[in-house]
Amino acid sequence: MTAPYLVVGAGPTGLGCAAELATVHPVELIDRIPVPGGEAGWSSPEITALVKAARRSGVRFRLGNTAVRWEPGRLLVAGPGRIEWLPGHQLFYAGGLRPATAADLSITGDRPAGVLPATVADHLLTAQNRLWHRLAVIGDGPWARAVAVRARAGCSAVIAITPGCDAPEWADEAITQATQIVIVGRDRVRAVRVCAKQQWTEVACDGVVLAASPRPNRNVTGALGEDSPGVAFVQPVDALSVSERSGIGRSTARRWITANNGTE
Amino acid sequence: MAGQPQFDVVIAGGGVLGAAVAARLSRTSARVALVEAETDLAEGASKGNAGVAVSYYGAPGTQQTQLINASNPGWEALTGRLDVPYRRLGGLMIALNADEEQRLQETLAEVHACGVRGELLTARQIGDTEPLVSERAVAGLLLPDEGVIDPMRLTISFARLAAANGVRIRLGERVLGIEHDGDLSSVITSRGRLETRFVVNAAGVEADRVSALAGGETLRTWPRKGQYVVLDRAFGQKLTKIVFSTHTPQTKGSNVVPTTHGSVLLGPTALDIEDRDDRATDSETVAWILDNARRLVPATADAYIMKTFAANRPAGDEAHRLRTDARQPRLLHVTDRSAGVSVSPAAAELALTLLRAAGLDASDRDGALDALPRVPRLRTSADPVALTDADPRYGQVVCLCEHVTAAEISAALAGPVAATSVDGVRKRTGAAYGRCQGSLCLAGISFLTAMSTGQGPASVSQTARGTVGS
Repeated sequence: MTAPYLVVGAGPTGLGCAAELATVHPVELIDRIPVPGGEAGWSSPEITALVKAARRSGVRFRLGNTAVRWEPGRLLVAGPGRIEWLPGHQLFYAGGLRPATAADLSITGDRPAGVLPATVADHLLTAQNRLWHRLAVIGDGPWARAVAVRARAGCSAVIAITPGCDAPEWADEAITQATQIVIVGRDRVRAVRVCAKQQWTEVACDGVVLAASPRPNRNVTGALGEDSPGVAFVQPVDALSVSERSGIGRSTARRWITANNGTE
Repeated sequence: MAGQPQFDVVIAGGGVLGAAVAARLSRTSARVALVEAETDLAEGASKGNAGVAVSYYGAPGTQQTQLINASNPGWEALTGRLDVPYRRLGGLMIALNADEEQRLQETLAEVHACGVRGELLTARQIGDTEPLVSERAVAGLLLPDEGVIDPMRLTISFARLAAANGVRIRLGERVLGIEHDGDLSSVITSRGRLETRFVVNAAGVEADRVSALAGGETLRTWPRKGQYVVLDRAFGQKLTKIVFSTHTPQTKGSNVVPTTHGSVLLGPTALDIEDRDDRATDSETVAWILDNARRLVPATADAYIMKTFAANRPAGDEAHRLRTDARQPRLLHVTDRSAGVSVSPAAAELALTLLRAAGLDASDRDGALDALPRVPRLRTSADPVALTDADPRYGQVVCLCEHVTAAEISAALAGPVAATSVDGVRKRTGAAYGRCQGSLCLAGISFLTAMSTGQGPASVSQTARGTVGS
């Protein structure tokens, strides 16, 4: 019996990819979170429909398992109380996106407390933590608005710092066309120095959230580079809606099937 | 017991040298306390360095060279006992022109005079030894006994061993004064008064202040800032040797160093500054580090940059200082500007010898611990499937990039010298060291740390000095 195809990531992209692959081969869908949906959440009608479609195609769900290491032919996954190797013929990696890091954005200066990736800030704010009084949000990526709205609901003023020309409507203040950013603060962040339109300004703040230009998450050993043997990556960066993402998952799977037809 | 002080030795400074001395003294009958101003160990140069346990650092015949020579052969055994990542990778010093080749010859002579293994390589041999080195290299010096080490784990493990053997590790406690009364001294700190017979000054860049407080010699110390760039493991796994610049009379240069975490460290630069809390990076210096690294290893140009940071090493009028104070016979100075990690095991041994010579009654104890229990790591485990048998929390991966599990984080948050901040967990486990820089795991680590320290996620410490929320 041939080993199944393994899809890592049960967000919209992975759900679409898995459903399409399952039309030609057994598929197991793996996600570190015990529910499907990824960043899109598990409860929306769109995700529910995608999950149903995947199940109908015969996709086997292995949720609550974190993919750790890929060696051609098998994937190491860690789940509650159990670490195991899963046989896999091919790995499709749909691990989603993360915000750009300080290094991605060439941010220099101090490394104080109070500077957080947007995904982390979102998580802490969702858990009802009040964190700041004056928050600088760097970038206008997919998490920026959610973080800004939650921070403002918790009485923080929000200053947007963005490379774009338009001031985002989710901010109280904005510095646009920012080209260079320096963090200021020894123990806790106290300001951000920004170069915009060839002029430096210092913005006082007590929190900084990195929410710029999303990058693909890559964290499975053996499945990091595009040239990793036995791995295909499905991580659309620009598509935002659930249907766009699942569509890209499906079409990528379809293209892969066509390209590899007869080579199995 | 009248006249009997609480401690025989108080060590000021929780960097690698203070912790190494504490670990060595902990295996004797001496009663010892270590005080550190920051809320964690390894917050100065022991956190911000290239992580190289060198075999060669300078002129023959010096005490520093003797201590490096004495420490170097023992790294595998010591790091095995203390559960510290170490690899004897070997280093390759690269000459890119005739001038540098000349200096390489001089360095080789000095290496041999120090009794250290070293071998001159031709351009072709360099390519065979480390194919990633620039094709423009005209000569190389292979130093097979250079190794990479996790300096934070080393420091914390020294302190954990010391604590397990009864040394009091007192964090967040700054030395404010030192009073003498006959043969007794009182170290006055921000949290109390410690009576002791001897004081060890392992305060790094603060060594001048501690010496002055103790009425010792006037030492001159200042911070030397170094900036670093960290490259992704996807590149690090290809690099098999530490690649050094050719030394000049002024500087050891900026290097390309594989780390024990699998990443690659570029740096450091060297700039003498005055402000001891200045750890800021700047874009010009970062650009210089990248240019310099590309001269040595061109492929660094394509590697993914994960992080930049700066740290200060304790420069001073003496780059290495391990001796009894000339004015205060019960004050011992133990500081080193750049080679603290590399000298630490032998320096601790010599510190004990000097303290005994000064009258410390410290006999080696039978039954003192000289090893720590090993915490298996999912990322490097050869048999990962078996890990959950010992602890089911190995199945819960918290840091996705570095594959650090809840079991490893719980171990860092427990026991002697437990982590009390998010950074403390990072230093002990490598969590959040990866390419996403905590985007996926910092919330989880904050929650775990907050639960362990009894705080909320907003009030929990993110660094040694600042909290997650404001």
